[in-house]
Amino acid sequence: MSYDLKQLIAAAGSHAELRIQTTRRRQVSVLSGDLVSNVSGTSSGACARVYNDGVWGFASESGKNSDCAERLIASAAENARLLGSRKPKNLGALDNAVPFCFETDKTYKDVDQKTLINFATELDAYIGKKYPSLASRSISARAACVEKTLYTSEGGFTHQLFPRTYIIVAMSADAPDGSTVELFDILGGGAGGFGEYYRDPAEFCGQIDSLYDELMKKREGIYPDAGECTCIIDSSICGMVAHEAVGHTVEADLVAAGSVALTSLNCVVASPLVNLSDFAHTAFGKEVPLPVYADDEGTKAQDVTLIKDGVLVGYMNDLMSAKHFNMTPAGNARAFSYSDEPLIRMRNTCIHPGKDKLSDMIASVDNGYYLTRTQNGQADTTGEFMFGITMGYEIKNGKLGRALRDTTISGVAFNMLKTVDMLSDTVMWDFAGYCGKKQPMTVSMGGPAIRCKVNIGGR
Amino acid sequence: MLKKAAEYALASLVKAGADKAQVSVSSGDSEEFNVDAGEFSLIRSVFSSGIAVKAVKDGKKGTASVNQLDKESIDEAVKECIESAEAGVPDDAVTVAEKEENCDFVSGALAPDKAAFFDSLIRFTEDVKREFPQIMIEQLVATYGRGKLVTANTNGVLFTEEDGYYSVSVMYSAHDGERATSFNSFDIDYLDPNTVIMDTDIPRMMFRRAVRELDAVPFEGKFCGTAVLSPLCLSSFISIIEGAFAGDYALIEGISPWKDKLGQQVASPSFTLSVAPDDERMVCGEKVTSDGYRSVGFDIIKDGILESFCLSEYASRKTGLERAKSSSGCVVVNAGEKALSDIIGGIDKGVLVCRFSGGEPANNGDFSGVAKNSFLIENGKITDALTETMISGNFADMLMNVKEISSDTISDGSCVLPYVAFDGVTVSGK
Repeated sequence: MSYDLKQLIAAAGSHAELRIQTTRRRQVSVLSGDLVSNVSGTSSGACARVYNDGVWGFASESGKNSDCAERLIASAAENARLLGSRKPKNLGALDNAVPFCFETDKTYKDVDQKTLINFATELDAYIGKKYPSLASRSISARAACVEKTLYTSEGGFTHQLFPRTYIIVAMSADAPDGSTVELFDILGGGAGGFGEYYRDPAEFCGQIDSLYDELMKKREGIYPDAGECTCIIDSSICGMVAHEAVGHTVEADLVAAGSVALTSLNCVVASPLVNLSDFAHTAFGKEVPLPVYADDEGTKAQDVTLIKDGVLVGYMNDLMSAKHFNMTPAGNARAFSYSDEPLIRMRNTCIHPGKDKLSDMIASVDNGYYLTRTQNGQADTTGEFMFGITMGYEIKNGKLGRALRDTTISGVAFNMLKTVDMLSDTVMWDFAGYCGKKQPMTVSMGGPAIRCKVNIGGR
Repeated sequence: MLKKAAEYALASLVKAGADKAQVSVSSGDSEEFNVDAGEFSLIRSVFSSGIAVKAVKDGKKGTASVNQLDKESIDEAVKECIESAEAGVPDDAVTVAEKEENCDFVSGALAPDKAAFFDSLIRFTEDVKREFPQIMIEQLVATYGRGKLVTANTNGVLFTEEDGYYSVSVMYSAHDGERATSFNSFDIDYLDPNTVIMDTDIPRMMFRRAVRELDAVPFEGKFCGTAVLSPLCLSSFISIIEGAFAGDYALIEGISPWKDKLGQQVASPSFTLSVAPDDERMVCGEKVTSDGYRSVGFDIIKDGILESFCLSEYASRKTGLERAKSSSGCVVVNAGEKALSDIIGGIDKGVLVCRFSGGEPANNGDFSGVAKNSFLIENGKITDALTETMISGNFADMLMNVKEISSDTISDGSCVLPYVAFDGVTVSGK
């Protein structure tokens, strides 16, 4: 499929995009032996977006019609004209849109539903047989691939695949106090097809056994003492700090709306030990869990340094915000569905590692907590963040003590980051989450273990 | 066209070996206006269609969906669905809806007035700037959407639905120099494109509070007292309770603290929680459940007694408990007799919680999180706006400790809720 966009959008006379997108999804969920979800689906469509002096018009249609481009561009241009005529912004042309061509050499091999079901039911059977006393257990296997083809009015062309595969295991157990405690974990997976990560269910039994052991400790767990305290936030959940606590406040659309980062650029916002980047496709010499080579405005994806040695040095932008803030766009404009317009989104947001050993960090805490698992988080434009903690341990005199029950930690990002005084030398990534911001979006996040002060909820 | 697609898909599923089958076929379009950072930014037109098919074969269920209605796409979905069912696991609880009385539903505003809608949105943004210059609309998403849906199955069920309505979703914060508040948000559904949005129940009240929040201070210390939940905050608590205490997963797995409480007291006698899709205050409430039954209202809790869970037909058959008569939204909590001001006047120490940002609650209802956009209540008066304040407690215990329910209610087109004061909530700060 090929379009002469310049000709098609001559009437619009400005930057325009045409995107054709197909999303294939499969999901299988087994709940204590029952197959409760057995779903597959395909969503295809095309969209056009046209710029007009600071505002946008957008139109989309479902389906695979190859003749819709002209209709969509005309509809998007009319929307842009209507908005521009009533509410002009007078931002001028998007002269920072640079034509970029990229075609992925990746391929995606779909998995059949039977393979997913068999894998999930085998894992479920293993848990059911080995741990019959559990209150409940579930396995959810998910495989998806998003294929995007983008044409821009500057002559840009990109074709990318965004596959993602993972399995979630969850289990719950009755606790001595009559309540029920629960834990979940991600078994393997990554930015590829199911067959690349899952061959033999037995490979994951060790991880399941470890989760069970932690759950048994949580059964006997305690609630933390509410209030501010010293915590070691494990590398497995540090990505939540990068994403929720800081990342959202430095998305340029939220900055323009008055986030705390508006007045903090080039200011000290963290300990000098803290460096934070939103990586495009490669970090620390390896491809990241969610590689993005171009965004949905056709901008070449590059890393964005957000915090350097404790100083806030950048925002994540789309073309329009980059023009507004006089910054360079680096490929953060991403759309979820074919019917969605690109928004400023994080990609692979990560706090850089330090030089400390995790064991030394734990040993350094007289009275605090080691937090190891999280479930969800939420940011605020003020920088006040929270995330739910589903597993952790108290630290007494440098040694791990009793396990914790579910709790919540919170703080103000640019205050909390100034208390970071140790960072471990190992980074872990979390790639299985979705970020919510008008549209959902696949994101990955990572970081080392950090020692800091946060507020923790008690009972 | 949608009926024909449904008939074709059902016939194809049966021909491919389905013992039972059900399909949902939809088409729709929407016009959306966006405001970002206080300025209009986008007009978005979306045209969509789709079909979801479900088959039961040899006691095994498969489902598939595709967003095109041509023969080739439906054939593809049918093939995928049958293959999924064949690969599945037998389960006596899987089925499709029994036939009751078929019906055609038409509701709402079926013809959009894009110009009037745009005018009303421009007026709203200008009203905000004039009346509340400290308020920044971080994002406004205003949509007119209309759609058609056909639900049909091999038991003879055939429902058709057609509706359309306007909605506006506003996320905002207040700013004064370098002082800024937490964001807050509200949604309103309505039918008249000429609606003066600022004059509806919610905006002025929320914006006035946000301006007060500019003087927010961190809470220091810890106490156990009364938490008054605003209607919109109560809505999010009810969603959590519906899922964790009365939903499919919690009941199938037997981990709900309410699993043996049907017909018993689970809340204070003043508390009644209903689902009311046909309430006239709801805008285009649900007509057909996701299982394919006609949606009708029911009580979850009546006068403190647990009357019903919120179960799908699958969970109902799995547990032997009754299926919920409606499957989404439209919650109503009965109003009390005291005005909010009188309720606050009777509280020695507590908080007015207008938004809750917390982790998922534990299965037993234990929760903790940040009280956002919230205010301290001392000696019968609202005093400081709060930041960095956490609340914790147990949802099941809270419901048994309802202190007061306000006579003031808020209706946003998808729920009707009062303020509810709960005793026994822990408030902690630095």
